[in-house]
Amino acid sequence: MFYFRGCGRWVAASFIKQQFPLARLSSDSAAPRTPHFDVIVIGGGHAGTEAATAAARCGSRTLLLTHRVDTIGQMSCNPSFGGIGKGHLMREVDALDGLCSRICDQSGVHYKVLNRRKGPAVWGLRAQIDRKLYKQNMQKEILNTPLLTVQEGAVEDLILTEPEPEHTGKCRVSGVVLVDGSTVYAESVILTTGTFLRGMIVIGLEMHPAGRLGDHPSIGLAQTLEKLGFVVGRLKTGTPPRIAKDSINFSILNKQTPDNPSVPFSFTNETVWIKPEDQLPCYLTHTNPRVDEIVLKNLHLNSHVKETTRGPRYCPSIESKVLRFPNRLHQVWLEPEGMDSDLIYPQGLSVTLPAELQEKMITCIRGLEKAKVIQPGYGVQYDYLDPRQITPSLETHLVQRLFFAGQINGTTGYEEAAAQGVIAGINASLRVSRKPPFVVSRTEGYIGVLIDDLTTLGTSEPYRMFTSRVEFRLSLRPDNADIRLTLRGYKDAGCVSQQRYERACWMKSSLEEGISVLKFIEFSSSKWKNLIPEVSISTSRSLPVRALDVLKYEEVDMDSLAKAVPEPLKKYTKCRELAERLKIEATYESVLFHQLQEIKGVQQDEALQLPKDIDYLTIRDVSLSHEAREKLHFSRPQTIGAASRIPGVTPAAIINLLRFVKTTQQRQAAMNESPKTDQCLRDADRLQERQL
Amino acid sequence: MRDSKPPLAVICTALCQARSVLSSIPYSYCQSRCARTLKIRSHVARGTTFRYTHLHRAPASLSTLHQPMEAKIFRRWAGRILRLCTRRSSGAPAPGSGATIFALSSGQGRCGIAVIRTSGPSSGHALRILSAARDLPPARHASLRLLSDPRSGEPLDRALVLWFPGPRSFTGEDCVEFHVHGGPAVVSGVLQALGSVPGLRPAEAGEFTRRAFANGKLNLTEVEGLADLIHAETEAQRRQALRQLDGELGHLCCGWAETLTKALAHVEAYIDFGEDDNLEEGVLEQADIEVRALEVALGAHLRDARRGQRLRSGAHVVVTGPPNAGKSSLVNLLSRKPVSIVSPEPGTTRDVLETPVDLAGFPVLLSDTAGLREGVGPVEQEGVRRARESCNFLATVVASVGAQSPSDSSQRLLLVLNKSDLLSPKGPGPRRDLPPHLLLSCLTGEGLDGLLEALRKELAAVCGDPSTGSPLLTRARHQHHLQGCLDALGHYKQSKDLALAAEALRVARGHLTQLTGGGGTEEILDIIFRDFCVGK
Repeated sequence: MFYFRGCGRWVAASFIKQQFPLARLSSDSAAPRTPHFDVIVIGGGHAGTEAATAAARCGSRTLLLTHRVDTIGQMSCNPSFGGIGKGHLMREVDALDGLCSRICDQSGVHYKVLNRRKGPAVWGLRAQIDRKLYKQNMQKEILNTPLLTVQEGAVEDLILTEPEPEHTGKCRVSGVVLVDGSTVYAESVILTTGTFLRGMIVIGLEMHPAGRLGDHPSIGLAQTLEKLGFVVGRLKTGTPPRIAKDSINFSILNKQTPDNPSVPFSFTNETVWIKPEDQLPCYLTHTNPRVDEIVLKNLHLNSHVKETTRGPRYCPSIESKVLRFPNRLHQVWLEPEGMDSDLIYPQGLSVTLPAELQEKMITCIRGLEKAKVIQPGYGVQYDYLDPRQITPSLETHLVQRLFFAGQINGTTGYEEAAAQGVIAGINASLRVSRKPPFVVSRTEGYIGVLIDDLTTLGTSEPYRMFTSRVEFRLSLRPDNADIRLTLRGYKDAGCVSQQRYERACWMKSSLEEGISVLKFIEFSSSKWKNLIPEVSISTSRSLPVRALDVLKYEEVDMDSLAKAVPEPLKKYTKCRELAERLKIEATYESVLFHQLQEIKGVQQDEALQLPKDIDYLTIRDVSLSHEAREKLHFSRPQTIGAASRIPGVTPAAIINLLRFVKTTQQRQAAMNESPKTDQCLRDADRLQERQL
Repeated sequence: MRDSKPPLAVICTALCQARSVLSSIPYSYCQSRCARTLKIRSHVARGTTFRYTHLHRAPASLSTLHQPMEAKIFRRWAGRILRLCTRRSSGAPAPGSGATIFALSSGQGRCGIAVIRTSGPSSGHALRILSAARDLPPARHASLRLLSDPRSGEPLDRALVLWFPGPRSFTGEDCVEFHVHGGPAVVSGVLQALGSVPGLRPAEAGEFTRRAFANGKLNLTEVEGLADLIHAETEAQRRQALRQLDGELGHLCCGWAETLTKALAHVEAYIDFGEDDNLEEGVLEQADIEVRALEVALGAHLRDARRGQRLRSGAHVVVTGPPNAGKSSLVNLLSRKPVSIVSPEPGTTRDVLETPVDLAGFPVLLSDTAGLREGVGPVEQEGVRRARESCNFLATVVASVGAQSPSDSSQRLLLVLNKSDLLSPKGPGPRRDLPPHLLLSCLTGEGLDGLLEALRKELAAVCGDPSTGSPLLTRARHQHHLQGCLDALGHYKQSKDLALAAEALRVARGHLTQLTGGGGTEEILDIIFRDFCVGK
């Protein structure tokens, strides 16, 4: 069979179709000649690394295929992780035992929680990361993950076979063909190709194909996907120039110092690797009218900005900031790239002007008068696949066992990619072991909101996480991600270590116990005032007040409460995290009750599964408008809940779908029962025969 | 029976209503021959096309809309149409299983007994509160109770109440039925009293049936009609909401919703971008000021004893036509009392005069309007404008005209030719090319029976239609949501935690968008990215 290698895609595909069982056998034999894995992950970026390790944690033999092993864990854009909304995603990734949070706790150089004054539900954990350290730590972790193999190689094509009859999709992926013609087989394949699908780098009027500066794009793979019938769109993004650290005059700029103490990203860490006093500062400067002038004068030299490829509504580059909000000063954060790096990343200055003009523009800015540009900023244009073509488990509708995660689905940001990576990795693995998919609902996490938005509504701009996208923001907080996801991750996905699971269980029961104790302690408001003089409680009401309600006051925390009522509250202050989490629970207690009711309503709709194989365009049993049919056909919602969120699907259409679901359920129930009755009859016949 | 096509303004509101209504309604009308269709592509680029059906006689080009009111309405809604690709509002009260819902279950119109139903876990609580009793009546037995308003203690009605504890009830949940006397005041009072009980809210379209279905209480054949019913109910609710929303209150609601959406967007921007990106100074302070002003306005509106509007119950019949056709005489004849001043002088009536009457057994709100003519004094022109406006909204138009129809056939229309006594008995009748019409003489009363019979048929079509929603319920719904909005704004003020404050605004906006349509996250993000320079 090796004879056929490299003879072209078609031969490979058709040959495998016939020989597939053999290939399976050969890998199981003692000396496998063709490598065979459970899961192949293509791409070693933030989605790829999470996907590969998640699949391996779930017990799948996994192969990570990447262009270059030394770029695994590369942070190709900003040297930071987290932020508002993104920090939430990282906590959730960590709750599922993902990597990025733990590695950030080992690689950061400046930790800061954003939104400190705005309430714990919207705190944004963020850190400047040392690129080199992150890469090193990530590679160490990846190379030491059991069941995970890493191999260098560019994937050129997918190997496709007959579909499994019990699932939808026109074919099934069973492996990949590399550029050198070799093949690798697998039960599931995850594509995390980032900006590499027909990636194109733009600086000024120059354009050249590349996935990232210095890396080749994937063109063959993009063509394969298009041929399979995937709807492909094009997006653009950009990155700022890098400036030599010693050419910047920091002394005249505003300095931002890190938090003291640092808050770690991971639930498993008490602290981060570095002391606050050893961390590096960031600096703030602003653009000025001269920058605007250079940008506006040279628009004709800037093909990235002129191109019609859809950019986001928000302002990704200095050009769009100047064009959309003229005559303003825009912030530029000067961020360190690492402990021993001599580069500075000017956040907010993403630009695609020709290189010499970039330097001219930068030297107009205060503090950067003598700045040296080491690497110019550039724009990237790349293919993405309309995410309405994937299910909430990130498997494609068209090709069975093919999963997409990361920028390929139209998202932007490391954290968004990592979040999808974990889910894709888990589901690719669950698919191999024929277990039901692991889907996070909108009511359970930011990951759920991200994936539900993508799969039901699609996106026309790089999708970025914002807390304003989340309906149940007060319930889905960074502090309680473990309770929301770790327990499920352990039971339903098997991606969580025993140790983490036990910790989450302990935390959950302690919190519940703590809350019920706090509800149970009741004193009059004047007694509370005596016990805790600093509390601004009104003593006019005579009703008894629960300790939980006293804890709601800003000036009260568990420590002051435990001082006032040492028994039984003292023991809840021993664990710092527990005490802080009790305070947060108390803050939101009244609203959470109402949200819980709403969440139940949403979950009820989401429990109603729609059959996967409905052909909405032709089905007769459901009366639907043409518009609704088209929308449903394209988005393929999995549940009634998801269907009701698609614009253009009316309540009447939903009822019709509900009716259809119930009818099918009844029919299936009847079918399942009939063989049993046959069996009973036969048994009864036999019994009669014996009696005769 | 003539095909009823709601005129311009009705469809405009269809577009601003929930997305659901929107996609189902304009479609059917687009196919009608007299419809002119404008396609407006959504700039949100979800590939959705909405059709704006313009049924009035103004030319399709917007710039030439010569009636200022129409142009205004159009502009107002055109913006909304563009922003329609939104999802369910994030803060809206979800029709989840937790809430207890209530609705007037008996038909609309004149009836001895009206049945009001509740379903959900707080049903028993509501019954105890309204009947001021400690215990619930025996299950599934009718008992007589004095219902009173829980806020004022004022007695509402002596009513039969039935208590159906779940799961043996219509919906499978705890249900209560109140059989009250059918007067609008009683029904309205009980609905408002229910709305004031915490945990209760007016039911959404088809919600009772949907709950019954979800709890396995309906078999599939029963459900068959459910989709149609929901379609009809949403349609009726839309029409009803429009009636309530026309005029001042509607403008107020939309204005409030706009203010609130903007304030929320700014608070959300402050949460999502405040620290990394430079939002201008004072974003939060500005939002605070706007919210406070909104709170004052809403509070004043809810306290206003005049309520701004009279409760409009029954079908609306407008008499319209050229001056001196005898419209006021017809109104006086139909209402059997001198509602309008009549004189031989053209232009005597200068305003819209409404009077509730009983026509052929149906409750009717009869409107007399100024004669339609151009080029007279400003007062009469305003009267003409109002007359045109009321034609736009009302279900039946009795056109008492000399020669031609004032509007196209898109409305339920009766063409009445008055002053038939002036026709010489042997001379030629009215022109042959006139559309179907009735002859009448207000002076002699000749032809009145024929008119009443024709009206009866039309009204039966309007009132007998099960889809006609109850204005009482609509009003209860309005009050419920406005009060809910106001309460939420109060929470906003109290919250020190910004996430909690934003949540209060979300809830408040959810209530308002239940009345005006729209809502959803994309709308918020659009405002954020429009107003602030945020990004990488």
